[in-house]
Amino acid sequence: MVKKAQVKRRPWVKNLYSNREYPDNYTDPSFLKDLRTNLHVRIYTYREAVAGITVLNNQISCITGFLILYQLLLSDSVAPTTILVPSCGVTGLGYLFYRGRSLSWALLGEDSKTLVTVVLFGYLFSPMLHTLTQAISTDTIYTMTFFVLLANLMFSHYGLDVAMVSKAISLNAAIFGAICLASRLPSSYHAFVLLVEAAVFFVLYPIITEAKWRAQCMVPIFSICCLALYWISHPVLYLYATTTIFINFVCPLIFVWQQRFKFNIHGPWDEAIVEENTDENLDANL
Amino acid sequence: MRICMVSDFFYPSIGGVEEHVYNLSQMLLRQGHKVVVLTHAYGDCSGVRYITGGMKVYYLPIKVCYNQCILPTAVCNVPMLRAVLLRERIDVVHGHSAFSALAHEALMVGSLLGLKTVFTDHSLFGFADLSAALTNNLLEVNLSMVNHAICVSHIGKENTVLRARVAKHRVSVIPNAVDTALFTPDPQQRPSNGTINIVVASRLVYRKGIDLLAGIIPRFKNIPYVHFIIVGDGPKRDLLEEIREKTNMQDRVEMVGAVEHAQVRDHLVRGHIFVNTSLTEAYCMAIVEAAACGLQVVSTSVGGIPEVLPKSLILLAEPEIDAIYTGILVAIERHLRCSFKVNPPATAGTVNGHVPTEANGRGKRRRNKANKATPTPQLPQPVLDQKSHTKPVLCPYRCNELVETLYNWEDVALRTVKVYDRVLQERSFTTSELVYAVWQHGSWFLVFFVVAHFMMRLLEAWRPRSRVEPAQDMPRSPS
Repeated sequence: MVKKAQVKRRPWVKNLYSNREYPDNYTDPSFLKDLRTNLHVRIYTYREAVAGITVLNNQISCITGFLILYQLLLSDSVAPTTILVPSCGVTGLGYLFYRGRSLSWALLGEDSKTLVTVVLFGYLFSPMLHTLTQAISTDTIYTMTFFVLLANLMFSHYGLDVAMVSKAISLNAAIFGAICLASRLPSSYHAFVLLVEAAVFFVLYPIITEAKWRAQCMVPIFSICCLALYWISHPVLYLYATTTIFINFVCPLIFVWQQRFKFNIHGPWDEAIVEENTDENLDANL
Repeated sequence: MRICMVSDFFYPSIGGVEEHVYNLSQMLLRQGHKVVVLTHAYGDCSGVRYITGGMKVYYLPIKVCYNQCILPTAVCNVPMLRAVLLRERIDVVHGHSAFSALAHEALMVGSLLGLKTVFTDHSLFGFADLSAALTNNLLEVNLSMVNHAICVSHIGKENTVLRARVAKHRVSVIPNAVDTALFTPDPQQRPSNGTINIVVASRLVYRKGIDLLAGIIPRFKNIPYVHFIIVGDGPKRDLLEEIREKTNMQDRVEMVGAVEHAQVRDHLVRGHIFVNTSLTEAYCMAIVEAAACGLQVVSTSVGGIPEVLPKSLILLAEPEIDAIYTGILVAIERHLRCSFKVNPPATAGTVNGHVPTEANGRGKRRRNKANKATPTPQLPQPVLDQKSHTKPVLCPYRCNELVETLYNWEDVALRTVKVYDRVLQERSFTTSELVYAVWQHGSWFLVFFVVAHFMMRLLEAWRPRSRVEPAQDMPRSPS
């Protein structure tokens, strides 16, 4: 009897106004036939992952390099001027490389104005910045530096547009760390040099890496850092080397391996994506 | 049967869920059930109120946290919800909308009290981002404690089954409806001088595809007889106003702003074509209302929209500017070809006895038609098949009748009562079953569940169920 009724009824249609013969909780065999999985999933190769992660390692090495310079200044093994002059030269070369063909006198004038302002004010205020955090104990300073440099690492721009990225926070954290460390140095001239280095490492260096980064650059940077650390402290060298190698080779391996768990569901319920009209593209769209 | 509707969204706020709860409750009341609505206080609107038809509404004094929702604390409102459910001697707790934290809390309290629970999901969700993943997990936990779920469209059911991992047979599809007696056509309100009014009625937000609309309006810059009426307000209003100014269409794009739901019809009947540009939609009441008012509907084909109206009432287009533009052109073409559009204004003219103006009007119309003859060939030919052009436009009154046969609240209420009946025959969950269900679907929620459970035990000792004073029922009016 039941079977007969089932034979008789009209085929189920996917709309909301027919299907009177069917109970409301009836599920048709066509249920979920529009379900698509992993539509836009991109599977990365190990090579791509290794090359991509160097951006993070570069930032770690950048912080390490800055701390190496601090150590050199603190232990007085190198005079501040010996650090300042070469870094000025490198900065000049880097500037020419960065501007490249677009360099013009007007641009040069504009940029040197900025440079003079920053250096002048940095020099004027360095005695004050030198004593700013002097009353704080050294342990506190180092702990604080650790955390702010970690924040710099976390909020840095690695080329992805995600909510976490904030150039302002990462830069401010690094500069704050530099000011903390500056108070441990013997003179205000040392402090000035350290602040200049901070500007070079955390303002200018990220600009040029963002524009011209190649994965191969990691090799010389890594070797220089290792060499410098070899003269300073062996435990730190091991720590740095193992961390870098772990991040650069083991983490991508885990990532590539975990990719097979990627499971993304798409279907008609997905929100359609349209280009949002903003002030910039409004005129072009009209 | 004694039913408690719970949702954060209810009058005085306006929207699809609010409409649904209100109309369904009214219908259930009319069928002789007792209905109580639970929502949070809206400003001055707090306490217990009776509204139309003796419907009792509890505006619970809970602070609103975000987007008309209460703070989802899961346990803080347990005593209050328990008191209301027991006082009203509720049989079935019916929560509405996945966004409503109050509904989820009441469903949990309901299942802890051993009552039957039903949940209606009104929205679609993606799976791609973090917020969706979190919300889906919460929904999964809550639906594991619910006897039956209702979705408003088949897509909604697929979506809910996927994201909340409910058994398919525990999900019913019961669509929304529209009160066709309120949304009646009135062709005399349409302009008699040959202009074609395109109506858009939605909140002006990204999800409603206002960015698409902003791309469509400039395309009609050179078709002077096409006017736009845009009803609604929202953050994207500035964008539309800017577009209107830049394309010099101030006299042709009318921005009405936000209107009461009851007045939407007054604006709908002025138009010939209704355009909906939503990017996602579980059911979309707006297109059904427009169809009931006799407008040709052009809509994006997203979510549950293809299921809602038969082909004769709707033109579907992909959510792209070109596709929707083509759809609107087809609708205009159809409108220009149909015959009855001249009649209602003409008869109105003779009835009023304004013979000279009528003659003028005719002349004007003819002139307009002559003008039209030139721009029409310039219209880029839509790529749709020839059949869709020649398909006649349905008479507005015929549209209304058709929509009435498709959807009405009485039918919705009857089908919902069927769900209630089925649920009432089921055995209610025991505490161990609930714990097991929560454990399986999201063990983190057990923290809240256990707290809620012991709170209920405490309340049972402090204010036992047998001592709770039942609320007096209002004597039902004979009407």
